[in-house]
Amino acid sequence: MFTFLLKRLVQATIVMLVISLVAFAVKDNLGDPLRELTGQSVSEAERQKMRTEMGLNDPFVVQYKRFLINAVQGDFGTSYTFNRPALEVILDRLVATLELVFAATLIIIGLSIPLGVYCAINPKHGFSKLVMAISSIGISIPVFLTAILLMYVFSIELGWLPAYGRGETANWLGWESGFFTLDGLAHLILPAFALASIMLPLFIRLVRSEMIEQLSSEYVKFAYAKGLPQRRVWYLHALKNTLLPVLTVGGVQIGTMVAYTILTEKVFQWPGTGFLFLDSIQRTDTPVITAYVIVVGLIFVITNTIVDLLYGLINPTVNLTAKG
Amino acid sequence: MKYGLTKIAGALLAAGFAFNTAAADITIAYPSDPISMDIHEQLSGGMMQLSHMTFDPLVRWTQDLQFEGRLAEKWERIDPLTVRFTLRKGVKFHSGNDFTANDIAWTLDRLKTSTDYKGLFEAFASAKVIDDYTIDLVTTEPYPLLLPMATYIFAMDSKFYTGVDENNKDKSAIIKFGNTFASNNMSGTGPFKVKSREQGIKWEFERFDGYWDKQSPGNVDNLTLVAIKEDATRVAALLSGDVDMISPVAPNDHKRVKQNNKLELVTLPGTRIITFQMNQKSNPALQDVRVRQAIVHAINNEGIVKKIMKDFATVASQQSPQGYLGHTPELEVRYDLKRAKQLMKEAGYENGFKLSMIAPSDRYINDAKIAQATASMLAKIGIKVDLKTMPKAQYWPEFDKCAADMLMIGWHSDTEDSANFTEFLTMTRDEKTGMGQYNCGYYSNAKVDKLVNDANTETDTTKRAAMLKEVETILHNEAAFVPLHWQNLSWGANKKLNMKPVINVMEFPYLGDLVVAE
Amino acid sequence: MTQDKNMSLLEVQHLQIEYPSRHGVMVAVKDLSFSITAGEIVGIVGESGAGKSTIGNAIIDLLSPPGVIAQGEVYLNGNKISGLSREQMRQVRGSKIGFIFQDPMTSLNSLFTIEQQMVETVLANMDVSREQAYQRSLDMLAAVGIPEPELRIKQYPHQFSGGMRQRVVIAIALICEPELIIADEPTTALDVSIQDQILELIKKLCKERQVGCMLVTHDMGVVASVTDKVAVMYRGQLVEMGSTAQVLGAPNHEYTKSLISAVPRSDLKLVRFPLVNYIETAEEIHQLDIANHWLGQSQDQKQYQGPLLKVENVNLRFTTKDSIFPSRREYVQASNNVSFEIHEGETFGLVGESGSGKSTIARAIAGLYTPQSGNITFEGVELTELKSEQARRPLRRQMQMVFQNPYTSMNPRMKVADIIAEPIRFHRLAEKHQVDQIVSDLLDHVGLGRKAGLKYPHEFSGGQRQRISIARALATRPRLLICDEPTSALDVSVQAQILNLLKDLQDELNLTMLFISHDLPVIRQMCDRIGVMKHGHLVEVGNSEQIFTAPQHEYSKNLISLMPSFAAFSKQNLQIAK
Repeated sequence: MFTFLLKRLVQATIVMLVISLVAFAVKDNLGDPLRELTGQSVSEAERQKMRTEMGLNDPFVVQYKRFLINAVQGDFGTSYTFNRPALEVILDRLVATLELVFAATLIIIGLSIPLGVYCAINPKHGFSKLVMAISSIGISIPVFLTAILLMYVFSIELGWLPAYGRGETANWLGWESGFFTLDGLAHLILPAFALASIMLPLFIRLVRSEMIEQLSSEYVKFAYAKGLPQRRVWYLHALKNTLLPVLTVGGVQIGTMVAYTILTEKVFQWPGTGFLFLDSIQRTDTPVITAYVIVVGLIFVITNTIVDLLYGLINPTVNLTAKG
Repeated sequence: MKYGLTKIAGALLAAGFAFNTAAADITIAYPSDPISMDIHEQLSGGMMQLSHMTFDPLVRWTQDLQFEGRLAEKWERIDPLTVRFTLRKGVKFHSGNDFTANDIAWTLDRLKTSTDYKGLFEAFASAKVIDDYTIDLVTTEPYPLLLPMATYIFAMDSKFYTGVDENNKDKSAIIKFGNTFASNNMSGTGPFKVKSREQGIKWEFERFDGYWDKQSPGNVDNLTLVAIKEDATRVAALLSGDVDMISPVAPNDHKRVKQNNKLELVTLPGTRIITFQMNQKSNPALQDVRVRQAIVHAINNEGIVKKIMKDFATVASQQSPQGYLGHTPELEVRYDLKRAKQLMKEAGYENGFKLSMIAPSDRYINDAKIAQATASMLAKIGIKVDLKTMPKAQYWPEFDKCAADMLMIGWHSDTEDSANFTEFLTMTRDEKTGMGQYNCGYYSNAKVDKLVNDANTETDTTKRAAMLKEVETILHNEAAFVPLHWQNLSWGANKKLNMKPVINVMEFPYLGDLVVAE
Repeated sequence: MTQDKNMSLLEVQHLQIEYPSRHGVMVAVKDLSFSITAGEIVGIVGESGAGKSTIGNAIIDLLSPPGVIAQGEVYLNGNKISGLSREQMRQVRGSKIGFIFQDPMTSLNSLFTIEQQMVETVLANMDVSREQAYQRSLDMLAAVGIPEPELRIKQYPHQFSGGMRQRVVIAIALICEPELIIADEPTTALDVSIQDQILELIKKLCKERQVGCMLVTHDMGVVASVTDKVAVMYRGQLVEMGSTAQVLGAPNHEYTKSLISAVPRSDLKLVRFPLVNYIETAEEIHQLDIANHWLGQSQDQKQYQGPLLKVENVNLRFTTKDSIFPSRREYVQASNNVSFEIHEGETFGLVGESGSGKSTIARAIAGLYTPQSGNITFEGVELTELKSEQARRPLRRQMQMVFQNPYTSMNPRMKVADIIAEPIRFHRLAEKHQVDQIVSDLLDHVGLGRKAGLKYPHEFSGGQRQRISIARALATRPRLLICDEPTSALDVSVQAQILNLLKDLQDELNLTMLFISHDLPVIRQMCDRIGVMKHGHLVEVGNSEQIFTAPQHEYSKNLISLMPSFAAFSKQNLQIAK
C-alpha cells in the first residue's frame, strides 16, 4: 500500500513536470499578455518596459527555473487579470466545477445503471431499442449543441430553468455549494445534464455490454443452477461484477470530465475552471493557463489513484500490496 | 430567488398593478466584466462603463456628441493653453468626503502615471487649483482636445486614496497585475456603489444615497452586472428573463429579440472602423497607388455589410464616422469591379499577383468571414490571396510584426476625434513620437503628418475640421487603407427599461439615469 | 404433477433440443431417451458438438438462448420437470438437482465469499435460519474435504486452488441434498492428481448419499474410472448405451469403436492411431517426394557430434510481488537448475502438472524468456550468449514452436497462405516465385489441401488451425519442433490425427521434438524419453518405457498411479509398437 502510494506520487510528480514543461513551452505561442492588459493607445516602449518588469523577456530556461522554484512552494504566479495568485483563482473556481461534475456524475450513475441493466436484461424490448438508438445518436451530438438545445427548450420556451450562471449557494459543513438552495439546484440542472450527456451514452453502453457479458458467464449460470431467484442473480451477482469494470473505466472517465466541463461551462457561463481556462486563453493569462493544466493533470492522477484504491476494495482478487 | 421574484413582479404588472415608487432591481449582461476596481488600471469599454457608474467625469458626451457638464458646472477657455472649470458644490464621495478641486488635480496627476492614460494626457501640465471649486487645466501647447479628454477625468477621492494600506503599500499605486488598494477599494461620486464583486462572474451595485444629481430620473436601486461571454447564452438569458438587458446582441439574434413582444432591440451606428491595411513594405506591388485603388474598388463593402453583417454595420468610405470633425460626406464608397480591373491593367498587373492576408477570428464581429469574403473578391481581379485567420491572442503578435501583405484592424478613437485614427493607423511610423504605431501599411505622407500635427494644436474648431477633412480626402485619394464599415452597437432589453435616453455611441450607457417602469 | 412410482430417478424421454436461427433450425440433440437410478453414475461421453452438455442444461432449463426443448419430457422421481414455470423450475434447481460445472475458476463469483455463496444457496432452497445455513455450509465443506472450514469459509474463491474450488462447487451442488447431480466436465480443467481426487469424491458422495449422477465428459479415462453406465453421443444422437465395461471393452457401434481406438493409452504404445471414418475428415496427405522437395533440402543438416539441444542448470524466476525493497520482493522459481539433453531425431517429452515450469523451459529455449542463469546450447552454440538479434535469427529459425491455442498466435486479418509464407519471406528461405508452390505443398502435406490458403484462420476448426500452425512451423525447415500442449484443446479423435501427423513429419524430415504435455498417455504415445517436472524441478529423466513401467521418483510413481486405467478398453485394430 505504502509502495503503491509512493509510486503514484513519483508518477504524479513526473507527469506534473512534463505537463508544466509543455504548458510552459507553448505559452509563448498563446499570444502576448500585454496586448490584453493594456489599452490600444499604450506605446510599444511602455509595453517593453512592462514585459521586462514581468520577466517575460528572460530566456526560457530562466523563466522555467523561476517557475519551478516558485511552483514547489505552491506559487504558480499571479494571474494577470485577477491580480491574485493563479492557484487561488483556480481553486476558488474548482468548487463550482466539481459541483457540476458531481451533479453530472449523479445523473450519469442514476441513469446509466438502471438503463444499461434494463437494456441488458430485456435486449429485445422496444424501450431498450429506443434507449440504444438514442444513445448511439447521443454519442455523436456535440455537447455544445445539447447545451443550446436544453437551454432553448427549458429556459427560453418553457421558462422553467435559468439559462446561465450558478445561482445562490449555501454553506453546509464547510462546503459552499448550490446543492443546498433551490435557486442553486435550478441553475445546476441544465449544465449538469448537458455535461452528463457527453458520457451518458457511453456509460449506458458500457453497463449494458458488461451486464450482458456477466449474464452469459458461468457463475451466473451456476447461480441459477444453485436455485437462486432471478432477481438475486441479476441484481446481486451480475450487477456487482458489472460495476467493477464500470468503476474502472467510469472512474477514470469522470476524472476526465473535469476537463470536459470547458464547453458546458462556456455555454452556461458556469463560473468554473473550464470557463476560467477558456477566458484565460483569450486573455493570454499564462499563469492561470499553466496552473490550470497542472491542476487538471493532478486531478487525473488523483482520480486514477482513488479508482485503483476503490477497485482494490471491491475486488478481493486485487491486492494493492502485491501490485506495488 | 431573485429569479422567481421578477416573475411575480411581472405577473403583478400584467394584472394591472403599477408601481410608482422608484425601486427597481435590474441585471445587465456584458461579454466580460471590468477587470479591476481601479479605473485607471486599464482603458477599455468595460472600465469606462464602471467609471460612469461609480464616478463622475468633469464633462460627458451627449448622444449627439456634444458636451454636458457633470462635476464641472461650466467651463471657459481663458487663454490658448488654459481652460477654467467651475466645479459643482455639495458633491460627496461614497466615503463621505466632500469633493473639491484638489480631487481633480490629484486625479489628473494620477492619470499621468497610468500606463494606459499617460499617452492621452501627455499634453497636460499640472492643474492649477484656484479655489475649492475652481480649477484651471493647463496644456503645454494649444490643445483642441481638452474637453474630450476631460470626459476621462473622473474625480477620485484623493483623501480616500492617499496614504498606505495595511500592507504598507501606497494606496494610490496603479499596478497592472498587482493587488493594490485601489483595485479592491473604491470611492467615487457616482450614482452607484459597489456592493459585492466576484471577478469574472458578477458585480453587484447599489444606488448611492448621497448622490448629488437629484435631477437624474434614474430609479435603479440595485444593479447587477454579469459576464456572459457566449453570444447565444447572453441572448438566451435575455429571452428567458434571467437578465433585463444585454449588449451586444449578435446580428443573428436580432430577429428573435425584435419578435419578442416583451423586449426591445436598439441599434446605433458605432464609431469603430474596420479596415484592411496594405503593407507597402512586404509587397512592392502595394506601393503603386493604382494597385491600392484597384483593391479598394474590388472590395464590395456594401455587400459585406448586407450579407455578412446583416445590415448591422454602416458602410464606410473613410475613417471618421458621422459626427466626428473630420467626417467628409463627399467621400463615396468605391466598389466598381470594372474600374478595379482597369486600374490593375494600368499598373501592369493585368495577370494579378499573390498576396498574404491575416485576420483575427474572435476580435471583431464576423472578422474571419469578412476576410474570407474579401479574399474571394480580390480573386476576381486576379489577386490570389493566401489568407490566415487566427484567435486574437495569436493575431496581435503577428500584427505587431506586420507579418502579412494585408492585415485587418479595427479602431475606435479613444478621444472620439478624427485625428486619433490617423495618429495610430496612417501617420508615418515614428518610434520616438509613437505616431503610426499600428501603421502596418507603412503608408507615409508628409502632408498628412503635418496636417494632423497642426490640427492637434489648433483650437479653432472650424479650421481644425477643415484640416481633418483634408486628411480624410488625401487618404481616400491615395487609397491609404481599405475602409470596410463601422460596426453598429446593439442593446437588447426588457421594454420596461427606458433604454433609449441613456445609450450612446460610446458603448457605455449612463445607467445612473436609467428609468425602469414598474 | 402426477407421480409414477415405476419410474427411475431421472427419466429422459424422446428429448429433442433445437437452436432455431435465421439460417434454419440446428438440432443439437435428437430423440434422446435414457434413465438414471439413485446412486448410479451415468457417463455421457462424446466429442465437441455431440450435444452432450446441452442435455444437462436442458434438464434444468438453463439452455442458453435460443436453445429450446422442442420435444420430449424429463421426469424426476416420476414428476415431470420439463415445461415447468420459472419459479417451479427454480425450486427444482439446487434442492432436487445439483449442478457441477467444468471450470471452478469461473463458476464461483469472485466478488463474494464462499460463505455468502453457500449460505445464499441454502436460504434459497431450504426453510432454515441463517445460523443453520451457516452450520450446514461448514459441515458440507468438511464433507468435501476442505480443511479448516471455519477459516476457509470466510475467504474468496481466488484464495483457493483449482481443486479446492471444485470441492467448493461440489459442496454447493450437494448442500441442499439433491437427488440428482449433473456434473458437466467436472475435472477437465484440473490437473491429473486433483482430477482423481475429485472423481473419487463425487463417486463416494453419490454412493453414500444414494444420489444419481449424470457425468458429462469427453474423457474416456474418466468414464472408465467412475461411471457405472455410459452413453455415447455423436452429433446429437445416442449411438450406444450400456454398462461401462461393455461399451469400452466390446463396443458395438462403429463410432464408439473409432472413438475408443483414438484414445491415447498409457498401457501400450501405438505406432499410429488407426484412422477410422466418423472422424473429422482431413484431406488425404499428398504424397510428396520429401527428399527432393524444398522441405527436405535444408542447408542446416550438418553433422554435429553430441546432443542437438543441451539445457544445463537453467534457472528462471518470475516476480510475484514487486517492491522497492529487495528484501520484500517475492518470486516464483519456475525453473530450478533444470538440465537435460535432446538428441537428433528423438522426441523428448516434458510432463508435469500446471505450474510445474514445463512451458517456461520451452519458452526459454525458444528465446521468449531469458534465464537468470544456466546454459542452453543448440548444436554446440550457446544461445544465451548470443547478444544480437541478428546472431540469434538463424538459430531461432531452426527451432519452431507449436502452441496449445494456435488461434491467438495468428493474425486474424491475414490469409492462411500469407501466415505460412511469412517466415519463408522473413528468413529469405526461397526464391519469390517458389514461395507460393512451397506454401501449397505444405498445406497439402499437413492435410488441409491447397485451397485452404485462400481462407482466413477463423474459418477453420481447432484441429485444422493446429495443422496450419504446424505448417507454419515447418515453413522455416526447422530441426527442432517445440510442441507445447499441441493437442490439449482438441477432441480425442482430432488429437489422434494431429499426433499421427507429427509422427509422420518426424519420420520424413528427421525432426527432433520437444513435446510438452500434462497428459501422460499422450506423452507415452509420442515420446522416446521423458522428463518429469514438479514445481520447477526436473525430478526424473528416463526412457518412456521405463518411466511408465518402473518410475523411480516418488512423484513420478504417484503421477503414474493416478492415471485412469485403460485395461478395460478394447484392443481391436491397434498397431501396437514393440
